[in-house]
Amino acid sequence: MSDRNAVTAARKPDDGDERGPASGGISRRAALTATVGLTVSTSGCIRQLRSAVNRDDVDPLSLTITTVPADSDRESIRLARAIADALETAGIDVSIEMRASEEFLRSVLINHDFDVYVGRHPGSPDPAFLYEALHSLYADESGWQNPFGFTNLLVDDLLEAQREADGDERRDAVERTLEALAVEQPFVPICRPTEHRLVRNDRFDGWDDGHLAMRTGYLGLESRNGGADDRLRAVHTDPRPSENLNPLAAEYRDRGTITELLYDSLAVDVVDTDGDRSLEPWLADDWVFEDESTLVVDLRSELTFHDGEALTAADVEFTYEFVADTTRGGDPFPAPSPRFRGLAAAIDDVTARDDETLVFTVGTGQDVGERALTVPILPRHVWADRSASASVRGVSVAEGTTEALVTDNVPPIGSGPYQFHDRTEREHVTFERFDDHVTRRDGVELPEPTADELRVQIDPRSTSAIQLIENDDADVTSTPLETYVIDDIEDRDDTRVVESPSWSFYQLGFNARKAPFSNPRFRQVVARLIDKAWLVEDVFHGYAEPIAAPVPDAWTPEHLEYDGEDPELPFLGSNGEVNREAARDEFEAAGFRYDSEGTLRVRH
Amino acid sequence: MLADVLLRLTIVVGLMLPVALVLFVGRERLWQLQHDWRDRVRTCAPALALLAVTLVFNRWMRDTNPDTRFSTYMTDTIRRIEGEFVLVFQEIETWWLTEYFSWIYVYGYAFLLIFPGVAYFLLSDTRTFRRLVTAYALNYVLGVVLYVLVIAYGPRNVFLTEVEVATMLYDHSPEYQYLTREVNRNTNVFPSLHTSLAATVGIFAYHTRATYRAWFPVAVVLAASVAISTMYLAIHWAIDVVAGLILAYACVALSDRLVGRWTLTELRDELRERLRTDRW
Repeated sequence: MSDRNAVTAARKPDDGDERGPASGGISRRAALTATVGLTVSTSGCIRQLRSAVNRDDVDPLSLTITTVPADSDRESIRLARAIADALETAGIDVSIEMRASEEFLRSVLINHDFDVYVGRHPGSPDPAFLYEALHSLYADESGWQNPFGFTNLLVDDLLEAQREADGDERRDAVERTLEALAVEQPFVPICRPTEHRLVRNDRFDGWDDGHLAMRTGYLGLESRNGGADDRLRAVHTDPRPSENLNPLAAEYRDRGTITELLYDSLAVDVVDTDGDRSLEPWLADDWVFEDESTLVVDLRSELTFHDGEALTAADVEFTYEFVADTTRGGDPFPAPSPRFRGLAAAIDDVTARDDETLVFTVGTGQDVGERALTVPILPRHVWADRSASASVRGVSVAEGTTEALVTDNVPPIGSGPYQFHDRTEREHVTFERFDDHVTRRDGVELPEPTADELRVQIDPRSTSAIQLIENDDADVTSTPLETYVIDDIEDRDDTRVVESPSWSFYQLGFNARKAPFSNPRFRQVVARLIDKAWLVEDVFHGYAEPIAAPVPDAWTPEHLEYDGEDPELPFLGSNGEVNREAARDEFEAAGFRYDSEGTLRVRH
Repeated sequence: MLADVLLRLTIVVGLMLPVALVLFVGRERLWQLQHDWRDRVRTCAPALALLAVTLVFNRWMRDTNPDTRFSTYMTDTIRRIEGEFVLVFQEIETWWLTEYFSWIYVYGYAFLLIFPGVAYFLLSDTRTFRRLVTAYALNYVLGVVLYVLVIAYGPRNVFLTEVEVATMLYDHSPEYQYLTREVNRNTNVFPSLHTSLAATVGIFAYHTRATYRAWFPVAVVLAASVAISTMYLAIHWAIDVVAGLILAYACVALSDRLVGRWTLTELRDELRERLRTDRW
């Protein structure tokens, strides 16, 4: 067709009303069309040329692994290095980008500015966290809700089903969800480390009563010297609690152990050192399901915040609404909290019936609905004003950045067993016992704060944290010790290693917003380049457990247990060494191509 | 812990200073100081004030979380450029060397910076002293600017299995981290300020070798040891050390340009003059 048009154009040089600038001369169009006429015979060739050069090149794949430096977490960077080596063997160009903990979490959780990341997921004792972690409704939000940008309608259905079911039915639904995730691999769960902490046993007893990653680990301790010196001295390798005490700030919290001691929730998850878990009433006196979806919660009477203001049902109502939208409806662009959002999402509505009674309309099954009671209760009189957009002079702030999400919240006002006293950034943060705390009332059978001061000393390295314990300068390492120091801990009479199970796990997270990470086939092959068992030995010195499903053992179905090799996606190689040929074959079978130099080329 | 380390540092440097003064400076200059120390302090005050301001600025930058909008993450780039060069030092690793370089990194370095300050203050011409202090200040200012622009982690954060745990300063002597974190963040890698300040002292020692002949070789050995210690202890990359040397050279040259260019009395007279003409 175009050939013929070109020919006609060439025959009619004066076509149209455009005249040449010089009368009598040849108009520009005439000249042009004449040239076209000349090339008519070669235009087939040009078309071929054009379609050849206009095709974009399929580029060699080069990706960046974002992680934290060894000063923050030695295991993460070592995992990243090992994974980078495996990917390079498979013909992928890899660079590693290290960012300080809060920078790392900001790029991954808030800005979604990453290709893949290696890090520790806080996890949860209950698999319900997978809902907010992977549901496509959350792909555009910030925080621990779907940082991967993973979207799959079938998985959405499964995630919803496990949230709505109860009892055995829920167990089955969780199993089906985990099976789907094992195939989809929105992230690769690598391993779950066993947590080791060093404690002094000559000053306090009761280290085994609660899990030391939770508030109950620091409550109910018995002083061994009759209360003469009741300072509890913790040493924390993560400096962030001395910089920021905002329970909603995802960049500054891992599991939020310290903020749990400052903020109470209606109920608390209690996990003992054996990993057995239960949900215990805390600020709530009791709760009961009046019907299928109506949960009525009675608050304990005369609760107060650290500043003396009363904690009433209005604060509870406020908290659940605030977590869902920190602008409180004041902005057309809602800004949900980056933490606790998934928990609170189980609740459709909260109404205060009176000062001490609340009615929750639960949008999920009762098991998941109850878990929503673990959201920390924020004082309305402090946080209500934080719904405005954060203002930094001279800098424009991103839409949806409320004051609540960025405040360092010092001093924090909660109702928890400890209240803020003092801090020096990157050196220490010190708390005092809150004497009016519910646990200290007569007739309340809950572990109470015994030490009248809790000093959290910041010491960035496990080796020096151990030294502080051994020199009697600290009583407990509140962050788990890095695994490389565990074998070197001296056997002494006055110290002891407390071992506790973990629900937080190491993972390789993909940014499914970008190709080729959006392709489950690509993710599957990458998962098969990771030798989890070997990494556990090499990086974690055996103090971890390789996993195929990102939930605690109690929820892992038998056929998804890691048994010598990954049940779904076994490693392509042996002893940590990737078999280059096998990896290549798998990528090719997944529809990807290699060039003559053995480099993987993908469209992205 | 910080107090312990600081006390030890003060004692060690406090013991080394008088010995070094007797060895390298001689008692004569000390006597002379009695007569005109007030004048010298007055002439040197602006330079000292400049240094004080930069130290406060440096501390403020360390304590505030820097804005990363202008920063580039460079760890991988540096590693790609220089490869595994710093691991050369792991091959010569011995217990004695680790002790020596740890000592140099903390005590040797502190002494190396403080001694010339005292020695040059004892010279009747205060220009060398003022230049030294100005060069220190410039090192800090330019260093801090580079730290904001380039975010990188040192080799100890990259070569985790290759670097012997024994040579990692903070595993070998964890107490030193209390001191270094008062001055530095762990992303303060490019350039090596340890190297640049040590080299600054080295260059000054070269210029003043006619006056302090014996100090020159000692300063060179100490400065070189400091530069090597940063790599031996896997704190800095070779590129950081090279950048530190360049920074040192630039700061010494700049200090020559800047010092003596303006005097406070001249500025005051000029200002007064200007005010008077304005009134007319």
